Amino acid sequence: MRLTVNGKAIDIDADPEMPLLWALRDIAGILGPKFGCGIAACGACTVHVGGVPVRSCVLPVGDVEDNVLTIDGLAQDGRLHPVQQAWLEEQVAQCGYCQAGQIMTAVALLDEISDPTDEDIDNAMGGNLCRCGTYPRIRAAIKRAASLKAGA
Amino acid sequence: MKALAVTLASAALVVVGAGIAPAQDANPEPPSAADTAKGLQEWERIYAVFSHPRCANCHVEDDHPRWSGPEFATTRVHGFNVQRGLDGSGMGNAGLRCNTCHFETNSSVPHGPPGNEKWQLAPVEMVWFGKSSEQICAQIKDPQRNGGRSLEKVAKHVHEDELVGWGWDPGPGREPAPGSAEETFLAIQRWVAAGAPCP
Amino acid sequence: MGAIATITRRSLLIGAAAIAGGVAVGYFYYRKPFPNPLDDDLAEGNVTFNPYVKIAADNTVTVIVPRAEMGQGVTTTLAALVAEELDVALDAIKVEHGPASYAYYNREMLAEGGPFAFFDDGLIAESGRAAFGAASKFLGLQGTGGSASVRDAFDNMRQAGAAARQMLIAAAATRLDVPAGELRTTDATIVHQPSGKSVTYGEVAVDAQTLAPETLQLKEKAHWRLLGKPQMRTDMLAKVTGAPIFGVDVNLPDMLYGTVKMSPRFGAKPTKIDLSAAEKMPGVVKIVQMDTTYGHGFGIIAQNTWAAFKAAEAIAVEWGEPDYPADNAAISKALQDALASADGSALRDDGNVDTAFADVAREKLVEADYEVPYLAHACMEPMNATARLKDGVLDLWSPNQVPTITRQLCAGLAGVGQDNVNVHTTYMGGGFGRRGEVDFSMFATLIAKEADGRPVKVTWTREEDVRHDVYRPAAAGKFRARLGDDGMPVAVDMAIASPSVMASILRRTFPWLWLPGPDKTIVEGSFDQPYTIPDYRVTAIPAAISIPVGFWRSVGNSYNGFFHECFMDELAAAGKLDPVEMRRKLLAAQPAAVKVVEKVAEMAKWGEALPAGKAKGFAFTLSFGSWVGEIVQIADTPAGIRLEKMWIAADVGTALDPGIIEAQLVSGAVYGLSAAMGQEVTFADGMVEQSNFHDYDAMRIFQCPEFEVAILENYHKLGGVGEIGTPPAAPALANAVFALTGKRIRKLPLNKEVSFA
Repeated sequence: MRLTVNGKAIDIDADPEMPLLWALRDIAGILGPKFGCGIAACGACTVHVGGVPVRSCVLPVGDVEDNVLTIDGLAQDGRLHPVQQAWLEEQVAQCGYCQAGQIMTAVALLDEISDPTDEDIDNAMGGNLCRCGTYPRIRAAIKRAASLKAGA
Repeated sequence: MKALAVTLASAALVVVGAGIAPAQDANPEPPSAADTAKGLQEWERIYAVFSHPRCANCHVEDDHPRWSGPEFATTRVHGFNVQRGLDGSGMGNAGLRCNTCHFETNSSVPHGPPGNEKWQLAPVEMVWFGKSSEQICAQIKDPQRNGGRSLEKVAKHVHEDELVGWGWDPGPGREPAPGSAEETFLAIQRWVAAGAPCP
Repeated sequence: MGAIATITRRSLLIGAAAIAGGVAVGYFYYRKPFPNPLDDDLAEGNVTFNPYVKIAADNTVTVIVPRAEMGQGVTTTLAALVAEELDVALDAIKVEHGPASYAYYNREMLAEGGPFAFFDDGLIAESGRAAFGAASKFLGLQGTGGSASVRDAFDNMRQAGAAARQMLIAAAATRLDVPAGELRTTDATIVHQPSGKSVTYGEVAVDAQTLAPETLQLKEKAHWRLLGKPQMRTDMLAKVTGAPIFGVDVNLPDMLYGTVKMSPRFGAKPTKIDLSAAEKMPGVVKIVQMDTTYGHGFGIIAQNTWAAFKAAEAIAVEWGEPDYPADNAAISKALQDALASADGSALRDDGNVDTAFADVAREKLVEADYEVPYLAHACMEPMNATARLKDGVLDLWSPNQVPTITRQLCAGLAGVGQDNVNVHTTYMGGGFGRRGEVDFSMFATLIAKEADGRPVKVTWTREEDVRHDVYRPAAAGKFRARLGDDGMPVAVDMAIASPSVMASILRRTFPWLWLPGPDKTIVEGSFDQPYTIPDYRVTAIPAAISIPVGFWRSVGNSYNGFFHECFMDELAAAGKLDPVEMRRKLLAAQPAAVKVVEKVAEMAKWGEALPAGKAKGFAFTLSFGSWVGEIVQIADTPAGIRLEKMWIAADVGTALDPGIIEAQLVSGAVYGLSAAMGQEVTFADGMVEQSNFHDYDAMRIFQCPEFEVAILENYHKLGGVGEIGTPPAAPALANAVFALTGKRIRKLPLNKEVSFA
């Protein structure tokens, strides 16, 4: 199978039923998306396929027909994506394990809604679990990212 | 990935299309008492399908699909703050659309998300969850609340629609709706022939 | 006196030598209780000054933070302790975890392990602390837990930085031929202002390494540049870019992948095994049977993790019967039976409680029964470890909180000496006490033994993680109180039954050790609270239920906070007193506690009228040396109860990084609220019923209240931070639910009785 991940074409020799997450992690060595639950219940594995955030732990790699973007490909030319920059400035992460997924979902939210309200944030981020309780800072960082993007 | 290609625009068309479909006249012939009794029997079969969690959990009034099954003490609101969508699309909100987790096919892992190409919440006017047999029956016969369909078309929709068909093929660990699409289609036809009586 | 007897027995157990030698905290450089582990592995041109500081010729300064980074910020605050004294910018240093070594024993982790309250400065308590701290040294216990990292490192690591700096200055004075007193340090450079000459640390490091200082001078608090102010975390960039820093991200040449399938009944062995289908699955390399103190089951080696998961599902096996109460009703009965027995230890027994209740009038008596369920940790990163056993050397990449114990137990399993084990401690996707265990490292070791020298990364499924935890124990309490004429409690009698965490841990790690004396974790958070009540008894009763239990963020405080503070709220209601006002009076002997209560009440505008359908609840817990008051405001909405806002005031003694402390307080509270609202681990047929986040969920962003936090520094001793937000969270919420609905919920989780939005 040939996938385009973070702008690069890669060949994946795997069972088409293998979830995209494991194809990325174990076969392509792309380790940004994390394994948390395997049933699309925590969001740690979130990547974009064709611009849509998806839980890669349940998406069969054989069904992927569009470009894949992972957290590893978010920064461009050595510059952090505004969402990553906002995460850094708000000092969001604690253990950090869920944050790749949180950031990928936040990027998708801001792609659709440039200036999200608290309700928009609640509606978008509920599938991304954080056991450290970084939610107040995630909320602040999404708003900061919105202004960073607006100012960019 | 075809599921991901389903756009909000096409979902919106479904809803609009429902609104402009022609209303159908009720069955002109008054049914006999025997027909009514037979019809009510058929309706019970149909109701058992429509009120089954595989169907009713996504035909909700309050914008929240439901979860149910042996791992939950009672039927509960779908986790993660999943909603119909502020745009009314039935496909969720920005950042958390149905197709973030629900793909073209059922996940093979226990408790993994079920899937179908057309996965989305039923339009808001088609409320089955928490409704009585009588209420659902009245609703099925009301084109304003059944997607603008004649009862024949309702039967056909049940017979042919992929997402409706999912109810009988819901993936591992989920109890399917009773019977089959074919049996339910036939039951609706018999019910209509008997005058489509409501309880 | 019970406390002395207990300590003596424990002391003998761990060895009298440790007691006689004592521990000189922080004088590591002079006394060198253990060799410097950095000497073994030093790169060419690098110099190590002590176990915490390495300086390279190119002026790279590396600080060893030998504690588990689980999100609590140790790689920032502990590094800042060294950087502060060494005069290096925090973003200029490299932080490493370093090797497993006895040199990194955590004295403070065990210092509060004895049966005395934190505010007890008496001779017995102080000797107890010395003895328990010495035990940690004797055991060489390099551990992260007990909210003790900063308390342990505060002297050690500042002294490490100061000693290195003084040595570098001495070397620079010789090199530049100027008096040492005229030299200043900044940004890893030593400057002689009068002559304009300067050298970098790296340039004089080799000369400096033998110039041990006579005395050490630490900076006054007033001169701190880094400490006391929020710092940018040293691990933040890695965490916003998805860098491969966690145990699951270990990626080695020639690596195989694996998982485990352990008996769903704890301790049960397989009675019927058929591996044929699993062994034939594509990508499967080998299936290994494992028998350990953590249980029995199988390790699966495969070409990728997915193949290992599928093969684990395909193993056909039947398991033996449990040797513990097999379902919730039986567990509950075992707890109640324990409560009814007389087999307890009163770890607090002020006044004469029996006399106080002998003639109590019915209307002055308050009685209540409480119960809490087992809980799983559910770290975001499922349990995992990577192991390679090659040429008689075991390398273990493990996200763990106990490197020296891990080294010891895995060396035994691998059949190699401890000197031939390298424990590489990775970052952790959550710990909360779960990673203070050795199961995941042991399983990886046993699997690696069968992999012909190739490394194997062994990742558990979430289901395996939820069903093979070391749970927060279930507990039950029977409480009574007598109210005085003014409504204030004059006598309180609390009996609490729970399986012993300490006994459970010893069974699976050092089964030959015997746990003497009562396990104070059963009642911590109840027996050691700074309330003054004339007749006040708290009794710990161990319940014999062998389901594995362990350290779950705040340990016994997690349920005792709920028991004690909800019962206090009941007493206030029964005595027709304001719950905050009643606490102020009961806490009057401890001004730090009173100030915390007053601060949080002021922040939350406690006492001001709320609109209909809204209510507040209050709770206070002293745990891990910090004094914490929390108030939560909730609202009744059509979707259920919504948590609107939480106020936290915490006195931590000295706040070394207010940004991280604020994050930890919120984190601890969210962890406690998650459990209180909806978490429980239940049992049927000896097996855990929950399996993943669909039926063992935690608070999500849309349920999270707004937080306002105040950090106070009134108490004279440094307190912990990582766990202290958790204990008051559940009772604050339950008390708010009572205020809102009139329902006094004495059994968690709360969503059995009320629903949350």
